[in-house]
Amino acid sequence: MRTSRWIALLYVGPAVLVMAAACMYPVFSAFQLAGYDWSMGTPWSSARWVGWANVVSAFGNPRVWSSLWTTLLFASACVSIEMVLGIALALALERPVRGMFFFRTLFILPMMIAPIAVGLVWRYLFDAQFGLINALLGLVNFPAQIWLADPTLAFVAIVIADVWQWTPFVFIMVIAALANVDGSVIEACRIDGANWWQMIFRVKLPMIMHVIAITLMMRLVDAFRVLEVIYVLTFGGPGDSTEILALHIYKTAFIGQQLGVAAAISVLLLVVVALLSWGALHLSNPMQDDTR
Amino acid sequence: MKRRSFVNATTLTVFGAGLPVSGAIAQNRFAKYAGKTVTINIPAHPHYDAMVKLLPEFTKETGILVEVDKLAIGRLKEKQLLEMAKPQGDYDLACYIVMWKGEYVAKNLIQPLEPFFANPALADPAYEMKDIIPIYLENLGLVGGPKGYLAGPGAKLYGLPYGAETSVLAYRRDVFAKLDLKVPETYEDFSKALRILKDKSGMGALTSRGQAGHQCVHAWLLHLNPMGGSVFDANWKPRFNDKMGVAALKFLQDVVSTGPAGIPGYGQGEANTAFLQGQAAMYLDSTSLAGVVNDPARSKVVGNVSWALHPAGARRASQSGGLGLTIPKNAKNPEAAFLLMQWLTSKAQDKAVTRLGGAPMRNSTMADAELVRQYPEFIVFKEALKYSNPDWRPIIAVWDKINVQALGVGISEALTGKKSAEDALNDMVPQVTQIMREAGYKV
Repeated sequence: MRTSRWIALLYVGPAVLVMAAACMYPVFSAFQLAGYDWSMGTPWSSARWVGWANVVSAFGNPRVWSSLWTTLLFASACVSIEMVLGIALALALERPVRGMFFFRTLFILPMMIAPIAVGLVWRYLFDAQFGLINALLGLVNFPAQIWLADPTLAFVAIVIADVWQWTPFVFIMVIAALANVDGSVIEACRIDGANWWQMIFRVKLPMIMHVIAITLMMRLVDAFRVLEVIYVLTFGGPGDSTEILALHIYKTAFIGQQLGVAAAISVLLLVVVALLSWGALHLSNPMQDDTR
Repeated sequence: MKRRSFVNATTLTVFGAGLPVSGAIAQNRFAKYAGKTVTINIPAHPHYDAMVKLLPEFTKETGILVEVDKLAIGRLKEKQLLEMAKPQGDYDLACYIVMWKGEYVAKNLIQPLEPFFANPALADPAYEMKDIIPIYLENLGLVGGPKGYLAGPGAKLYGLPYGAETSVLAYRRDVFAKLDLKVPETYEDFSKALRILKDKSGMGALTSRGQAGHQCVHAWLLHLNPMGGSVFDANWKPRFNDKMGVAALKFLQDVVSTGPAGIPGYGQGEANTAFLQGQAAMYLDSTSLAGVVNDPARSKVVGNVSWALHPAGARRASQSGGLGLTIPKNAKNPEAAFLLMQWLTSKAQDKAVTRLGGAPMRNSTMADAELVRQYPEFIVFKEALKYSNPDWRPIIAVWDKINVQALGVGISEALTGKKSAEDALNDMVPQVTQIMREAGYKV
């Protein structure tokens, strides 16, 4: 029918327009800002058009590339651990077990805490003098570590904090997906004599691969944007060992007052995240027709 | 003319105009603004926690209402820049860290105070500007002059010190007595004391800030200054990698290796806590620690701490810095904001805030017999102020960038052993030179 197309447009159009404005305006603003030399606290009329100079300056800065490398390491470490732990926890708590409600609530609590508070809590936990982690290590006769004062340990510390906060997200996504797996398929597998491994890796996980791919993509995007926890925990140090790209952008914009250069680096971050998201969706894209 | 004489002369000349005001006008200066609201932006900081307790009295005396917007100190600047850039901002009075004053003036965001003090309808004839500790007034308030951030021809007053500080040495007198150790007078003694305390006291020798960024640079500059070094030469060329710079960084490396564990991750809070919790025998930093050192709720070293001057190197020199108050250009109620600022920094209220644990900014407060009984360390602090150097840190408009993005990375790398002191400092010279060139300095 000819009218149905217009009705569909009428229904969907306003939402699309609002989404486009809300999502695309900041992105286009970042592209625009990347061409200007503008400092916060000065009127926009004083901004100077510099063309590609900000992009050249950003890409020519070795600190940007070292930050990007740190970000890639951080994101790959965090997301891999979170995916494995989250899926394992979801599989473990999938079946009705005693106290499951308690465990499910407990596991999602970290996700609900404000990132600044998470950073502060972990800063105290990792404190070399008074931290709980060193106290626990002491109980098993392990020497105290200077967690936030050593480049490698500081990196481990930010990964631990992120894993602690975001594994619950993977858990909640996967457990919801597992609840929707058709019981008759599982029943059929059992009748066919599938063992536990086969049930998990040949049946359950492939059946929820769409959700896993979306979860992976969302975690990758978030891991590239994480700022507050690292800001509080290490402020990028020692040296620049934990300075991920989002923190480098923050420092460039709000301390260096180079908003144009910061916007240019943001565009780089956007490209990297878009490429990784595209890769994640290639694993299994729920938006594709899967009747093929 | 010496710098301090210049500060006194300038302030007396500029603000003398406001003095011959009739008592009647002075008494009525609040009436016009009664019922108005002054919005003040402050950090979460012990001095300002004490200040907030005074505000009901201000409203009672003047009829002016005060609304407080309190933020974490790390988030203060970005919020202020956003507010001050609007045609009309939400803040009538703002607390700033000394390092920001040059940038705020360069961006035309804050108002000079001269017109307010020269206005007989606003100025308090009993204010006594010359009673404000000159080094604080110069360091926190003046912008312009030959260097841009110190006294001299062209310098104007843009803010008043409120929460200002200098550096002193705090030490555990029980530990020093037990080890029969003399309080270090010089950096040579200081170096020896670090090793002895590390080996014999069972605790870290000297606590220190060390986190990447502003914190580790602050710690390094604390030693660079008395060792006779500076960041730039007279022509703004970086000279921080000379032998004094290297010596100061090597000293800081010694502090890390003999101090409580984890200094390269310490912000000011962790550094203070290490001393207050008995993990370090010495503390060399801001006088602001005095407010909490004898508070049993926060300190395990109550009654065991004595104070001394910052040890001397090639010269005796302590830092100066901290917080100040300023009026944004786009304030809705600038006159009422000035009245609040003037009231808070008056003789009576400076004493009042000090009694509550705040930091004094007037000589008369430091000399007040009752307060000296409450805080005997004021005797040492007053002496330390004689050696306080307002040029210990070049707070030009681009200092924040140099501080955090260049020096703050290199110094941190030296503290973790990734680079030697020489390499860390040499490697930063091109980056700092580049920042200076971009800022318009001919270097």
